[in-house]
Amino acid sequence: MKIRRILTAMAAAATAGLIMLVLPAFAHHATGPFYDPEKVVDLQGTVTRFVFRNPHAFLFIDAPDASGQNSEWQIELGAPVGLRRIGWTPDTLPVGMEVKLTGRGSRAEGSQGVCCVRMTRADGSPVLEGGAVRERTQD
Amino acid sequence: MKELITIKTVRILAVMAACFAFVMGLLMPQLNAQGVDSHIPDLAGIWDGTPRVRPVNGETVPWGENNFPDLNARARAYQEVWEEIMAPKYDCQPASSPAIQYDPYHMQLTQWPDRVLFRYEKDDQLRTVWLDGREPTATDFSLQGFSRGYYEDGSLYVTTTHFVFDIAGFDDYNGIPSSSQKVITERYWSEGEELRLTLTVEDPMFFNGDVSYTTRWLPAGEGYRLAPYDCDPEASRLSVQFFPSKYD
Repeated sequence: MKIRRILTAMAAAATAGLIMLVLPAFAHHATGPFYDPEKVVDLQGTVTRFVFRNPHAFLFIDAPDASGQNSEWQIELGAPVGLRRIGWTPDTLPVGMEVKLTGRGSRAEGSQGVCCVRMTRADGSPVLEGGAVRERTQD
Repeated sequence: MKELITIKTVRILAVMAACFAFVMGLLMPQLNAQGVDSHIPDLAGIWDGTPRVRPVNGETVPWGENNFPDLNARARAYQEVWEEIMAPKYDCQPASSPAIQYDPYHMQLTQWPDRVLFRYEKDDQLRTVWLDGREPTATDFSLQGFSRGYYEDGSLYVTTTHFVFDIAGFDDYNGIPSSSQKVITERYWSEGEELRLTLTVEDPMFFNGDVSYTTRWLPAGEGYRLAPYDCDPEASRLSVQFFPSKYD
């Protein structure tokens, strides 16, 4: 099952070439001081705001918190100067879009930030039309 | 008749003068502010320094086990106080040397007779390297300092001084500051399709001796143009709230 998932992901990546794992590869700053690699966060929520500006794009979504209540989460993405080269625009994640993601949770107590995400639409398809979904690498 | 000869003579002389000027233009060595005997390497272009070309910067890159500076007590005292969110980059203050050369973005190098221009995609920065021998004055302190250079043996050599104090000016991953005594020397040369750099830092205010790194760029993709960076203050500070400060 796991091998099949990996092979499917590799085939999808080979056909398109648009990266959906939005690790901030253009490193404005290290993620380690802000996000804990041991703190895995899984979310599904609705986009309320997409800040597509350097040094890092940020996505705001409403999703359930630990108590099950809907609250705001902030997702740190890569630098727009690099994201544009793979097809992202300020309209890539419009308000109201449903997304599903897995990433690293923020360190500061009570904060709801996530980075280094694997993100798709709610149905599992790539965020960008014709894009690919890449599995998260092991830390 | 006399008039005809005069006009004809003038025409002949004019043609001879034009030919002479053309031949001299071909024979004259390329003029530059440096002098007539220097060899000027062709380093101009848009260069790719992204992760496809070299390891991404971090706590051990480009300053690692083999080239980490020998910090003095003053620098170690700063490190005790330091935490990540003190870095001025979270307020969009641009990077400077030695970090900006290694930031994983594109860079454009333009060669003019009296100067070389480095334009960095990261933070929209422009460095001017003067080739005409001018000296800095006391009013030339700045974030990018004052750069002077020359060509020799197929390389561009650059010396930069007059940097303003910067709390993270040597390396913000390790919280090492830089002072107004910082001196950066760079050597740029081409090897095959690569642009190469060896950069050396001295800063007796904070470490002993000098330290260096060597890196490279590859030509940018066909048709690539540097994009505006336009650092946004809000986007820059958004991650700060996720940092557990030791001062809270």
